[in-house]
Amino acid sequence: MRDVSLSRRQRMLIQSAPISDERVNDRAMRAALHRARKTEELAAQRNFDRAVAALVRAIPIPADISEFVPSETLISPRRLTWKKQARHPAFLATAIAVAVIAAVSIFQVVERVNRFPGEATARRLLTTASSTHSMMLDPVKTDAGALGDFFFMKDRLAHYDVPPEFADLHTIGCRVFDDEEGQRIAQVWVVEKRMQFFLFPAERDPKTGKAREFSGWHYVDQERWTGVVKEKNGVCFMAALRGGEKDLAQYISKSKD
Amino acid sequence: MVADARKAAEVFHATLRDAAQQAAKNEPPSDRLWFFRDARWRCLEASDKGLQAEDICLGEEEISALAPSQIKKLEPEQLAIWISAAPDPQRTALALFYLDEFNHQELLSISELKPPELAKLLSEGRQQFQAWLNATVPVVEI
Repeated sequence: MRDVSLSRRQRMLIQSAPISDERVNDRAMRAALHRARKTEELAAQRNFDRAVAALVRAIPIPADISEFVPSETLISPRRLTWKKQARHPAFLATAIAVAVIAAVSIFQVVERVNRFPGEATARRLLTTASSTHSMMLDPVKTDAGALGDFFFMKDRLAHYDVPPEFADLHTIGCRVFDDEEGQRIAQVWVVEKRMQFFLFPAERDPKTGKAREFSGWHYVDQERWTGVVKEKNGVCFMAALRGGEKDLAQYISKSKD
Repeated sequence: MVADARKAAEVFHATLRDAAQQAAKNEPPSDRLWFFRDARWRCLEASDKGLQAEDICLGEEEISALAPSQIKKLEPEQLAIWISAAPDPQRTALALFYLDEFNHQELLSISELKPPELAKLLSEGRQQFQAWLNATVPVVEI
């Protein structure tokens, strides 16, 4: 082993290397043996050990002893370590199932937290927005903020006001229509980013008939269209565009500033 | 370990009996190594009661490439006597190692030795056995 440089630990491992290769189950020992495999000293040691082991196997064992090999019943079943238990298929299947259930639960909780009254209507209106052409609207060129009075005067729609965040945007056209549930919807088309606004009645409590209020802006998306919705005075306002949340976020952050 | 077939048989049967008694109490030995550990201690006890080998310092010689041919000329009983005469824990190390039944971790576990101790005992044992071989079965140079 003088030709090959071996660490003290490798030298120690080689000196106690099991005679049969199948008993070498230690990675460090395998590495040490591999490193020293061409040395004369290792070859001499291995040949010496094999010769002695062959002589040991030749030691006669009395018949009454060789017949009495301890049976498996005398040894307690092997206890699995937690690492081996963790690799057991039943444990793995249970762990995966628990993980999936946890993920679904978390997803549902997050969904519920983000949900707001009127979300279903907002989604439906996003589909409407994706299929609307500007020609379908009555041409109205003004600031979006001025349309509140217009809707009230023309269609008697109270509180159908565009929030200050979007009030300065210039409009192309607007219309008022009844949706499939008979709700009065106001739709506005603005120049900027070909954005559309929707004003619609907030969802009402079936028992009391009161509008379900919610605070702040809530995002909703449907087929690559994104909307941001706010409720005020029983009327929901939604700004919708083809894109993501970040395209709308700049308008909402303006109000915070 | 004891170089005496009668004593070895007694140890073997005593170990089996102990295992059977533990199994009857629903506390069977934890693994197969238990048998070897138990037998080892019984062998050490048995050899303590018998004749003791003289405490002499054995010479050591480098392992020869011709050692396998020298070993072939030995009788198995000669090897058994040589190993049983070695002082413990070298006797345990050599007996367990040349059984060729265990991996490194198992050897350490049964012999209750640390890796450097086991390596040193085996290395010295080989060289001492080589020296004894050279004295007992000298290589005839043609």
